[in-house]
Amino acid sequence: MTTIPDTESKPPELTQDRPLLRLAGGILAAAIAIALYTQLARIAEFITYSVIRLARGSHLGSAVEFFLYEVPKVLLLLVGVVFVVGLLRTWLTPERARRFLAGKRESTGNVVAALVGIATPFCSCSAVPLFIGFISAGVPLGVTLSFLISAPMVNEVALVLLFGLFGWKVAALYLGTGLTIAIVAGWTIGRLKMERHVEPWVYTMQAGEAPEGAPKLWSERFAEARAAVREIVGKVWPYVVLGIAVGAGIHGYVPTNFLASFMGKDAWWAVPLAVVLGVPMYSNAAGIIPIVQALLGKGAALGTVLAFMMSVIALSLPEMIILRKVLRPVLIATFVATVAAGILVVGFLFNAVL
Amino acid sequence: MQRIEVLGPGCTRCKETYRVVQHVVETAGLQVELVKDESYERMAALGLMATPGIAIDGKVVVSGRIPKAEEVRHLLGIS
Repeated sequence: MTTIPDTESKPPELTQDRPLLRLAGGILAAAIAIALYTQLARIAEFITYSVIRLARGSHLGSAVEFFLYEVPKVLLLLVGVVFVVGLLRTWLTPERARRFLAGKRESTGNVVAALVGIATPFCSCSAVPLFIGFISAGVPLGVTLSFLISAPMVNEVALVLLFGLFGWKVAALYLGTGLTIAIVAGWTIGRLKMERHVEPWVYTMQAGEAPEGAPKLWSERFAEARAAVREIVGKVWPYVVLGIAVGAGIHGYVPTNFLASFMGKDAWWAVPLAVVLGVPMYSNAAGIIPIVQALLGKGAALGTVLAFMMSVIALSLPEMIILRKVLRPVLIATFVATVAAGILVVGFLFNAVL
Repeated sequence: MQRIEVLGPGCTRCKETYRVVQHVVETAGLQVELVKDESYERMAALGLMATPGIAIDGKVVVSGRIPKAEEVRHLLGIS
């Protein structure tokens, strides 16, 4: 094998040079990251109390330690998970999802659509082409909506933050209840037979099918996963750092149980209020979770907190405005009402049970 | 002449994709027809469901991500 001296003109992702070396480098980087991850609590403690010499048990010390521990932890987790999901997404494309869902019956279709939504790439500017693509391929309206609820709500960034800051139980609860809402809300809208509230031009669309490209090489899949990390982590990290900074302030300075009176279990109106407050908040989902985590530590109830996060992520005003191009107001209102009702049930249920 | 379409409803990621393609075409001095199409009709007709997307001569080659310049060069047969 000859080496080309001019590395500038050579597309590195597209050549198969030294795949073993690259793989070894990747494994080494992962090993260092895992080793670092396990030592983060000690490192944060050491820096806070031995290097900066803050007093143990002080407000500032507690806030700084929290920040120094949580920021690298969440960012490391985020890089790892976004990479793995990015890799999975090179197989699970919206085109495949559509082909898969086109032949499904309604109830099974809702379940499959919600599951497929977890790992399918989605940004709200893709909502309209995706909607048209699904509808024109004969995917039922309710099934399409199950997908459109699940895809943004149950996503890897939210799950990483929940896992990193709340632990696996809350992350699993969020995953399970989020999927349930997507399935039930989509199924309900399917039962309501609201096809006539879709803008009629959608049905007149001449839908094509994108050809399946050449099978991808592993090196291309890895390159796409790395690109996903750059794009997603590159976009959300300032929100994560800012969110954790505010969370650290709450963690260090707000007295424990301060919030119990108005965000606690006994305040029945807290859940609907959390849902309403969540609607206008949109791109700051990555920043809201760290803040909410700190609130939970100060006496806010888990159901209220879950409802707030789901509302922030699933019911976004910009997405509704984008969807208005294909859905009539009645259908948008039904969509919002059904999802909001699901979130309310989740909020009340967890406040009652836990 | 090759026809390159950059497709997307006009979000920042789509603009970035157009910029990458434009840069590649200009630096290579390529004689192609480069268009930016924001219509959902065109996306539907091409079967594109995730934006941004790139189609060369009516065939989708990139969907749902911002490609790097090297990849665009490769897709256009410049290396």
